[in-house]
Amino acid sequence: MNVIELNGVGKTFRDFWLRPTVKAVDGLDLAVAQGEVFGLLGPNGSGKSTTIKMILGLLAPSAGTISLFGLPPRARAARARLGYLPELSYLHPFLTAKETLGYYAGLCNLPRAVAKARTAELLEMVGLSAVATRPVGGFSKGMARRLALASALIGRPELLILDEPTSGLDPVSTNEVKTLVKTLAAGGMTILLTSHLLADAEDVCDRFAIVNHGAKVAEGKVADMTTSLQDFFLAKVGEGRTFEVAPFLKG
Amino acid sequence: MKSFRAIFRLEFLALVRSRALLLLTLAAVGWMFAFPHLVTSDGTADGARELYVHYALGGAFALVLVSLAATAAGSLAKDRAAKRLQLTQVRPVRYSVLVLARALALVAAGALVLALAAAVLVLRSEPGRTCYHVLAPVMESPRAEAEKMFDFYMNDPETPDEVKKAPKATVLRLLTQRAWDNYQTVAAGETVAWAFNAPDVADGTRAVRLRFTNDFDTRADVRGSFRFGAWTGVVSNITRAVVIVPLEKAGDDAGMGVPGELAFSNQGANALMLRPRRDINLLYTSGTSGFAVNVLFAWLELVAMLAVVVAFALFLSAALGRSVAIFTTMAMLLVTEMSPSVIEQYPDSLETDAKDRIGLEITRFMEKVTSPFGSLAPLEHLANGECVEPGEAARALAVDGVLLPLLLALAAGVVLPRKQDGL
Repeated sequence: MNVIELNGVGKTFRDFWLRPTVKAVDGLDLAVAQGEVFGLLGPNGSGKSTTIKMILGLLAPSAGTISLFGLPPRARAARARLGYLPELSYLHPFLTAKETLGYYAGLCNLPRAVAKARTAELLEMVGLSAVATRPVGGFSKGMARRLALASALIGRPELLILDEPTSGLDPVSTNEVKTLVKTLAAGGMTILLTSHLLADAEDVCDRFAIVNHGAKVAEGKVADMTTSLQDFFLAKVGEGRTFEVAPFLKG
Repeated sequence: MKSFRAIFRLEFLALVRSRALLLLTLAAVGWMFAFPHLVTSDGTADGARELYVHYALGGAFALVLVSLAATAAGSLAKDRAAKRLQLTQVRPVRYSVLVLARALALVAAGALVLALAAAVLVLRSEPGRTCYHVLAPVMESPRAEAEKMFDFYMNDPETPDEVKKAPKATVLRLLTQRAWDNYQTVAAGETVAWAFNAPDVADGTRAVRLRFTNDFDTRADVRGSFRFGAWTGVVSNITRAVVIVPLEKAGDDAGMGVPGELAFSNQGANALMLRPRRDINLLYTSGTSGFAVNVLFAWLELVAMLAVVVAFALFLSAALGRSVAIFTTMAMLLVTEMSPSVIEQYPDSLETDAKDRIGLEITRFMEKVTSPFGSLAPLEHLANGECVEPGEAARALAVDGVLLPLLLALAAGVVLPRKQDGL
């Protein structure tokens, strides 16, 4: 069964007068099966974030259909089964780490005892137990990132959507996140992630799709690759894209 | 329910930890304490109370209303711009619950500040002082009177052609306004009577209130006597704009007046001109509570008004960007506050040019839409020593405090996800 399905999805942004300005996604077909780790890869501005936002129900597609667990993305039943880690952490700076997780537990309608236990469990897991009562506003980027990850997991989601999960993390934390993703996937969780760090994606993903200019240019299994994902990616979207440095140096 | 509680707590904590609530409390309560030292009244207890309620409590309420309306208008828009809102939106929470919980948190904060300001008012006033129930004469509604007048007025050769060419609705509005202001002349030596639906109660006190807030200087010489059933009162040489004439039980030999009818005999040298619909009230104290309870009812009405304004500001916040939402909210508040006096000043749009007419139509529309919840009636009642009736407070709570915020939250819930689309 597919957890995520996109059929001919397109997104055109319009200006105030409803004139089309940018076609961010164009006729995208995608299917993510239950229990797999799927990498949505592409250069900056390729339409990855727009696609993620449409999957999350934050944006409505201009064309095509999207289903999450067979439901429209804005259905509460679908939202109850997913967790989301955005590219930046976007935490409420005046809340403590414990209160932050308590807030998201409340949004997931978790009973008080479950919320309390899970908060302690997740803070321990991401190594923030010692700073559980400190306001999040004083956290480093790495700490905030780990807390945001814990927030995404508080509802024990069946589908986890990670937008650049290792962004801003040091190599040790990056490795921890990769291990966490593998562990969660081994436990049956479906994971959709985007990343610029292709080596990281190669380490954790079962399958991937590469998008460029809003359209899918490649899709496959990591296990079937004969070259590195990095080389494959550059061959697909990076050809001819180099900075013209010579005139600058001459000048 | 858990998600509602979580969002409510988050919004309330934001107000507490940003110290906004503390500052608002200090400003409102500080103003309540400082006001008597800044302004002096006419020296009478009534005058001091009127000033204190109007400007101290009214000022505290205005402060709370404007601050929280601006906070609400910026609330969702700010979180949307900071991308924090999307983290709540992707959770299984109804968008209307998200708006409603935020509204309730802001209203709770405002209610708390207003309660403290009201407590200061009670402490600095006479807590045991009773209020008056206020009755107006039983008369035909101004609209019904206008409709009856319409044909006669339009066929009257003295009616200007400009009015005759105007739409019926405009003329009816003009006549309705006139009906409100219809003067009744009580000639010297004449006795007139007005009917009142007064409850049949034996206890408490009765009084008649006359207002002379019109353009004619009739304040110089008012002399006469009132009779309401077995109650009588005398007024003489009064020069104040508002006269309260206490009524006392008459002796057996004085005879009974007509039940339910207030008779006035003008014993002055001049004719007296009164607008019965506006200027004459029968006051009674039977069954009234103390000042503290009256303040409590007024507080409930003010909180209800705060709720509808906050919910409206949140609706705008769901639909618009932060600065546009704040500007629109403030503009709406200003127009709501100003529209009744603008309309009173320019009751007849026929006297204005086309440009002003458009402005007046917009103002009239705003007044019509906002008057059910935009009136500062509870402050007026408190200031005038009138009772804030429990039924009136219950209606305000049900409609302004619950029904309208619910509808606005539902509408905001529909708009909120679409705003993300950039629509």
